[in-house]
Amino acid sequence: MSSHIKSILFAVVLSIVCGSLLTLASTGLREYQLKNIALDKQKNILKSIGLIEDKKAPSLETVSGLYADYIKEMWIDFQGKLVPKEKKGENDLPVYFYVKQEKIQAYIIPVHSRGLWGKIAGYLAIKNDGTTISGFTVYSHQETPGLGGEIEKRWFQKNFAGKKILDDKGDFVSIAIAKGAVQGRIPTSKHKNFVDGISGASMTGRFLSVGLKRTLIEYEPLSERFRKNEIK
Amino acid sequence: MKITRTKAFKVFFNPIWESNPISGQILGICSALAVTVQLKTAIVMGLALTFVLACSNLSISLMRKLIPRNIRIIVELTIIATLVIFADQVLKAFLYDISKQLSVFVGLIITNCIILARAETYALGNPPLLSLLDGIGNGLGYSQILITVAVLRELFGAGKLFGFQVIPNSFYAAGYENMGFMVLAPGAFIAIGLIVWLQKTVSKE
Repeated sequence: MSSHIKSILFAVVLSIVCGSLLTLASTGLREYQLKNIALDKQKNILKSIGLIEDKKAPSLETVSGLYADYIKEMWIDFQGKLVPKEKKGENDLPVYFYVKQEKIQAYIIPVHSRGLWGKIAGYLAIKNDGTTISGFTVYSHQETPGLGGEIEKRWFQKNFAGKKILDDKGDFVSIAIAKGAVQGRIPTSKHKNFVDGISGASMTGRFLSVGLKRTLIEYEPLSERFRKNEIK
Repeated sequence: MKITRTKAFKVFFNPIWESNPISGQILGICSALAVTVQLKTAIVMGLALTFVLACSNLSISLMRKLIPRNIRIIVELTIIATLVIFADQVLKAFLYDISKQLSVFVGLIITNCIILARAETYALGNPPLLSLLDGIGNGLGYSQILITVAVLRELFGAGKLFGFQVIPNSFYAAGYENMGFMVLAPGAFIAIGLIVWLQKTVSKE
């Protein structure tokens, strides 16, 4: 047998063996991984409304317990009307309500944005006045660790709390990430619509600002209904 | 013959201190800088690398007479990549939080020079048992440095170990401050530099 054929044969056999081993591992572990991802999602939703702290890692039972107690999953149509999960249409959007004492305290919307290197996914929680942001979290991204990757850190996310998505006149302007610190760069009247950016990651900030705005526009009908006090 | 004179003993213990992959051969620095901010991530990374290195050395050594010379690097990388992806999948299934913190660095074990270097220079020319010992030894040598650096960085950078506060609050009240520098990559660079210096000085005698 010539050495070329031997090499090719060896490569083929090795690929098949390695490939099937990986397939086996991937399918075997898939269930556990999906469970982790679902739990991580719940954790991030709870984090966006400040029900769990970033510093202490909560136990799995606390997370699913809190989630079951306070979070209600719903869907909305293009007019911002609530649709139960069973009747949801193709273009309806998911939303999560933070319900405490039979009253909606805040609504949480999933944010999917483009980043510099890949997709950024997170949650933005808005208080029941339809204007004030109560929190923001990121659970998946591919940004550069130490630069754009800082979007997953507490110091960046905590700046969102208390900011508004409306300007002084009450018109929708969205929330944006400034290039660097807000102080000194942005006129004082607009401070409430901007959060501090990350130095060395202005591109990540720009992409995330666009993504947040796009998401907020999609959910604007719902926010408007909250502002008019139509949903309680 | 004393046990410290056997070949197996030398193969296992040499890389832990004397020819340590990080401080002796200056390999694998990238991940050593990146994952040593916390002790927890450093230990998991060390374990993952030790697992990959031991298995890759063993399997390459078992096949060393079969592997065609002209495609041996491809074969080695295929085996290493398979093991790394497997380790990554296991971490994602059972240690999700840590695997998120380690992010790309588990995947980057594939390109860690230590593994390919051991496969090329050792496993291809030595029997399976010795190769396995060599793999575990090198993996532990790598982990040892990672853990040392992580202890230094977490202790001085955040005042914690394993996420628990170690430096008492009274210290902070008396004016002690965390060294923010240790949390950044240059802090690790200096820590590794000091370890290399210490190692070169000690092992000269």
